Amino acid sequence: MTRREFTLGAVAAAAARAAAPLGFRLTDITAAAGIAFQHNSGAFGAKYLPETMAPGCAFFDYDGDGWLDILLVNGMDWPGHKRQRSTMKLYRNNRNGTFTDVTERAGLAVEMYGMGVAIADYNNDGFPDILVTAVGQNRLFQNDGRGRFLDVTEKAGLGGRQAFSTSAAWFDFDRDGLLDLVVCNYVKWSPEHDVFCSLDGKKKSYCTPEAYHGETCWMFRNRGNGTFEDVTAKSGIFDTSSKSLGVALVDYDRDGWADLLIANDTQPNKLYRNLRNGTFEDVAVRAGVAFSEDGKARAGMGVDVGDFDNSGASGIVITNFDNEMMALYKLARDGTYKDVAYKSGVGTASINSLGFGCAFVDVNLDGYLDLLAANGHIDETVRHIHGNVGYAQAPHLFLNDGKGGFHDVAALAGGGFAAPKVARGLAYGDFDRDGDVDILLTTNQGPAYLYRNDVTPGYRSLRVRLIGTKSNRDAIGAVVRVTTPDGTQSRMVKTGSSYLSQSEPTLTFGLARRDRADRVAIEWPSGGVQGFEGVAVGAYECVEGGRLSAKNP
Amino acid sequence: MLAGLAVTLSAVAVYSAYTIDQLRGLRELQATTIDRNRTDSLLLLRIQNNLNSLALAMRDMVDGNEPYPLTAWQAQFKRIRTDLEDALAKEERYSPSDRTSGQRSYLTSSVAQFWDALDRVFALGREGKEGEGRTMIQLSLQARQEALSTAVARLLVQNNETEQEAARRTHEIYTRAERNVYIFLVAMLVPIVLTSLYLVQYNRRMFEQVATLSERRSELAQQLISMQESTFRSISRELHDDFGQVLTAIGTMLQRSERRLEDPGALRADLREVQEIVQAALEKVRSLSRALHPASLDEIGFESALGQYLPGFEKQTGIAIRYEKDGPSRELDREVAIHLYRVVQEALSNIARHSKSKQAAVRLRFLPESLVLEVEDEGVGFGKTGKQGMGLVSMRERADLVNGRVEFLDRTGGGVLVRLTVPTAREESDG
Repeated sequence: MTRREFTLGAVAAAAARAAAPLGFRLTDITAAAGIAFQHNSGAFGAKYLPETMAPGCAFFDYDGDGWLDILLVNGMDWPGHKRQRSTMKLYRNNRNGTFTDVTERAGLAVEMYGMGVAIADYNNDGFPDILVTAVGQNRLFQNDGRGRFLDVTEKAGLGGRQAFSTSAAWFDFDRDGLLDLVVCNYVKWSPEHDVFCSLDGKKKSYCTPEAYHGETCWMFRNRGNGTFEDVTAKSGIFDTSSKSLGVALVDYDRDGWADLLIANDTQPNKLYRNLRNGTFEDVAVRAGVAFSEDGKARAGMGVDVGDFDNSGASGIVITNFDNEMMALYKLARDGTYKDVAYKSGVGTASINSLGFGCAFVDVNLDGYLDLLAANGHIDETVRHIHGNVGYAQAPHLFLNDGKGGFHDVAALAGGGFAAPKVARGLAYGDFDRDGDVDILLTTNQGPAYLYRNDVTPGYRSLRVRLIGTKSNRDAIGAVVRVTTPDGTQSRMVKTGSSYLSQSEPTLTFGLARRDRADRVAIEWPSGGVQGFEGVAVGAYECVEGGRLSAKNP
Repeated sequence: MLAGLAVTLSAVAVYSAYTIDQLRGLRELQATTIDRNRTDSLLLLRIQNNLNSLALAMRDMVDGNEPYPLTAWQAQFKRIRTDLEDALAKEERYSPSDRTSGQRSYLTSSVAQFWDALDRVFALGREGKEGEGRTMIQLSLQARQEALSTAVARLLVQNNETEQEAARRTHEIYTRAERNVYIFLVAMLVPIVLTSLYLVQYNRRMFEQVATLSERRSELAQQLISMQESTFRSISRELHDDFGQVLTAIGTMLQRSERRLEDPGALRADLREVQEIVQAALEKVRSLSRALHPASLDEIGFESALGQYLPGFEKQTGIAIRYEKDGPSRELDREVAIHLYRVVQEALSNIARHSKSKQAAVRLRFLPESLVLEVEDEGVGFGKTGKQGMGLVSMRERADLVNGRVEFLDRTGGGVLVRLTVPTAREESDG
């Protein structure tokens, strides 16, 4: 800690004591929970581009016991530079605040150069399956429902593909009740074709993607028989100029058919509007999300979508390179997105941050989505070049004041949350089932961090887990609207979002001190709509077409 | 002062008109050339960017390391095409006026040919002739793209040159405007400074006049008081010294006459003596009365009064006076006459007191438009005495009262000439 950081910390701490309580407190329980993870980027000095980009992480309930488990993606040593064995890690929730490493038992101790993860029940059997993206061959692991995963990559028709894949998302683009898959690819890269880049003109550093050719994203349609059809070209998302890192589901035109937002690094972002006939049309330029307000294609990394102003329309957050600011888009009446990053305070606060994972989360359960971002530079030599930009950077935790302003309170959140990190993945989920949302972070070539969130007693939430019948079983793409006298919050069940990471599919609505919601409305991906009046706080499950039933506890 | 104001106002008007004209020119240049050119350059850059995207997409197609058929690129090209055609249409609207029609049509037709060739590539792709398609890209499409890119680059260079020329002209306009500001400043400052100087000078003179005037007034008041006192003193002395003695003498002689009643001869002599004394006293009273106010003036007129007065003055002072008169006499108003008379008295009295001259001249000239009275001596002149005596002040006041003008002139060769000029109008108006 430098003297400046110390002083800032002291000031911040003093300010925290003086200011109104934040409504929540984070505690770093990584060690206490038994999570001992170390990311292996395989770095041996050659500075291969993929080394600095990973890893992702996930909150998901792999064994269906109602308690969230954790998956941490890992890389491996490069061929010819083998020093250690490293695999992804699956941690099973012991329901007492601790986790057990069950990777071997679950059959996931697979060596691969893993990047990200997208988790959903693609075969509608009630157990979440895992897609791990990778440099090389992506892997699809099917959950057998008995605690084991089977590598079905080849069987599913996803084999024989070498790429630099990043984020991925499961969603039902043709509304046939089967989850389809979209996979982002970054650039055409292989160790043999690695390019020399340098920040200081002497030592090699990691390249920015301008040095490489782009690579198209992939779209796979679920045939429903365990296999996938490559519809990349047919769907119209084929684009060899893209250098994609983040993908989020968004119903941009609010027609009930999920559209895709893809964050591209140094290339225009894409907003693929679902034309409901199996094809997509890129409307990013028209919608105003392709470029920054001054017409520059930024280094889009992570992306999330959320109704952060409780307007019913989804806003968008995209993390970018340092000196580019995060983008915070709000949908204007004319159907175009306006970047309100500067106006909201997010822009100025993020000017020196190089962001990756990001998520809209109601951290303090006050009914407004707050904003989290994991930061960290791509190259450690950066500190010699830009004095104000560090390699390790503090994550952002912007509290939404409900009036259009966001204030970074990371330094006040506790648990060492604001300690500088070279963070990449970010996921959220209520692993301790106390009604609030906890945070999982991964760092490049470093540990993962699990932060338990505890909100001010009396602040409660309404949590809803949807189970589709006519819709895909995970109800991905479903929208739930919860109305209280304070307004209506809306959330979408989604995969993708953030960066390389997967958050829990259960939706959390902060009701502050209220004990019930006036109305809970569910819009299923199948097109069905259900409504419930006077719903008390607590955790619920709703099977499509059925009742909203309380879930234990 | 009015002239200064007029010059200033016209300078402002001229400058404003000129500046407005310059600004209009600048706006014109800005709107027709610079803005348009800049927009056009931005659109050309957008076109260039699209052409680059085409080049990259074609490179990827030719590379053939994607597991996708050529037709997969259709959506990507469609996206580029939408943006490119939008940019081309806009560019045509904003293209500078000096663009030749050849240049205009080249872009449109070349792009159209490109799409046409691309459609044929995709047609080959659909027929499964991937190799032929790739060859066609290499042989025809890539060359077309390069030619287009070169053409756009040339237009960009041309725009840049136009912009530089416009920048030069803008700079000229700014230089002119700057120079005008300086000229305007000078044009404004000169009349302002001149007017101010004039005002300062004018005020100073006015204050001096006021000061002189008030000084003269206060002197006049003091001297009036002292003159009144001296007049009273002189009358008192006359009464006491002369008439007292005369009356005493008469009384004494009348007592003596009583005692001489028995001597008629002596009594007769005494009575004759009393008679003589009374006669002398009467003369004195008359002389005194005349001195206080020349009654003769009212009775016999100015010229005759002067005729009586001058010999008396000669006799009293021993100064020889030469009296001259020109022009036909006119009857003078009483008010005018008394002031003329007093001025003559005062001037002669000054000669007697100060000039040490043994001779003087009094001239009266009746001119058609004025009456001129001159009193002249051959004495020592005014010399360098700063302070004006009461005489001069009263003479000036009297001249003012008759609407005339008095001058005190040093004669060449010594002596003073006092000249009073009274305009005819004044002398007759009150008639």
